Amino acid sequence: MKMTVGAAAAFALLAASSAAEAADPAIALVLGVKGSPFYQALACGAKAKAKELGLALTISAPDQFAADSQIPVVNAVAATTPVVAAIVPTDAKALIAPMKQLADRGTKIVTIDQTIEDSSFVQTQILTDNAQGGRLAADAINTLLDGKGEVLVITQPPGSAAQDARTTGFEEELKKYPGIVYLGAQYQSDDPQKAAEIVTSTLSAHPKLAGLFSTNDQGAIGALTGLRQAGALGKVKVVAYDAASAEVSALKNGAIQALIAQNPKQEGEVAMESAAKLIKGDKLDKTTLTEIVTIKAGDTATADKYQYKGDCD
Amino acid sequence: MSATSLSEPEDERLSPLERWTQLLGGGWIFILLIALIAIFTTLRPEQFGSGFNLSMLAINAAILLVLSVGQTFVIIAGGIDLSVGTVLVFASITSAEIMLRMSGSAGGTYGTTQGGWGVVFVGLIVALASGAVWGAINGVLVAAARIPPLIVTLGTFGMALGFAQILTNGTDIRAVPEILVDAIGSGAIAGAPVLVVIAAAVALIGAVVLHLTRFGVHVFAVGSDKEAARRAGIKVGRKLVAIYVLSGTLAGLAAMMSTARFATTTIGGHAMDNLSTISAVVLGGTSLFGGIGSIAGTVVGVFIPIILLNGFVILGIPPFWQTVATGAVLILAVWIDQLKRRARERS
Repeated sequence: MKMTVGAAAAFALLAASSAAEAADPAIALVLGVKGSPFYQALACGAKAKAKELGLALTISAPDQFAADSQIPVVNAVAATTPVVAAIVPTDAKALIAPMKQLADRGTKIVTIDQTIEDSSFVQTQILTDNAQGGRLAADAINTLLDGKGEVLVITQPPGSAAQDARTTGFEEELKKYPGIVYLGAQYQSDDPQKAAEIVTSTLSAHPKLAGLFSTNDQGAIGALTGLRQAGALGKVKVVAYDAASAEVSALKNGAIQALIAQNPKQEGEVAMESAAKLIKGDKLDKTTLTEIVTIKAGDTATADKYQYKGDCD
Repeated sequence: MSATSLSEPEDERLSPLERWTQLLGGGWIFILLIALIAIFTTLRPEQFGSGFNLSMLAINAAILLVLSVGQTFVIIAGGIDLSVGTVLVFASITSAEIMLRMSGSAGGTYGTTQGGWGVVFVGLIVALASGAVWGAINGVLVAAARIPPLIVTLGTFGMALGFAQILTNGTDIRAVPEILVDAIGSGAIAGAPVLVVIAAAVALIGAVVLHLTRFGVHVFAVGSDKEAARRAGIKVGRKLVAIYVLSGTLAGLAAMMSTARFATTTIGGHAMDNLSTISAVVLGGTSLFGGIGSIAGTVVGVFIPIILLNGFVILGIPPFWQTVATGAVLILAVWIDQLKRRARERS
């Protein structure tokens, strides 16, 4: 008896999903993780563009930003044999085999946001120049500090190519500014609590800390908490990567002095444009760079424009 | 309710059919699995029902199944093992590191090494031993120090991951022997993926040990009533250590399978494996209070969430609704099982 309820529910879900079943070419988009504002914004950009271009887009995402969570999703997408699959590979190596399998089944592959070590079967890699983002952050912090003071980096443990590139870019650019004393990088794994502890203990050791750069939004949110706790908000200049809602409001109320923002919506749009070109039979460049901007305090219009939000249904 | 599987007279009261459905994991769960497969196959016969998809499903279940077999033993014995996922990560780091050092510098394509079967064998031994050591730590702390297993394994969950990060500085080891990836990770024996063959063998051996050996009977006895088991002359402490060592060792085996499949270690992954295995075990009709359970049920329990995810992605159900639907199906499945059991107890 209960079984019929389950079956009915399943059929109802089917009815809802079969509406998307049209003659339009099938495109699959696999995000890095469910529920992240960045990927929601990317999905929104892709949805709007897919509608415009007449593509039947199906979006899926794993529960965690991890290969073992994402591979079953990619396998399931492979079973549907879409014409083009745009994938955010959560691991540069572990995703090679399942994505190659997908390519062997005749699906054209596009990577977004993250890259993969073996790109021989990938039509184009849509990404931002993370090292350039790190350099922009170093320039911003140099301007904010008038060229002198102690600076800290809060980033993820080594292993994430994007985060590593941001840190390296920042460190390289910093060498141009002899007045800045670099205190090194501290690690937190998407954990604001840890970032807050790093900031308070760094302030104990280096009371003259003048600026910090966080390579992602979770680190920035935690860093602000730490600064508030230590009463150093505003005294220590903060430059943070990304434009999550919390970061944008912190920029507006003066807790953050500059944001290095990507444009996830544009990444989603470019992915769909690339898919449309691939269907037409066009060849694409091996990499397609999307934009990256510095948003300074006071520039609310730009901040609102770039804020990561999944504002579509 | 926790004595059904232990004492002889109660077993005799069950009809052969009931015993059979109990072995199949509470019957209803098995029917649910068949129903899910039937629904998805009817809706998308060429996609869901394809040989490609079915073999993908089996491969995706393989690693989780090996972990879940260990978890079944632990939960039937009245314990819980939250550390399986990070013990897997730790064992994959130690074994990958040994294999990398033995095969020298990275060669071949995309960071695979030329290490031979000897290297892989040593790696396997190291992985199993690493897992067994963590299992022994869990077992001794639970049995001798009498710390609740939830706390012990939560502690070792963090420690195993921490040591894995210390050993590698947080960076995954990406050069593993090519033959491991080719022959085990993506290889097949007579058309069946090697990973699936390994998992099936583990489940089969696990079922035999649990249901047909003296050790298995003792596992049920310890989980039903520790004090009664002690009075019956069972060395409860030793059994508990052995059970956690078994779970840890299987996590070590799963570590090798994971390295073979992903061609890299996965420090950032496997964080939710503990909950996945526990929910698979419970879905399969094993009681969280110990004393009741079966490996066959666990096999079914492992497949249900994997088939749901796969079917939902193929049907194109939006990601957030997938999360909701998967959760609802899990609760529904266990609820039906409870109703069925209550009806049985009343009769």
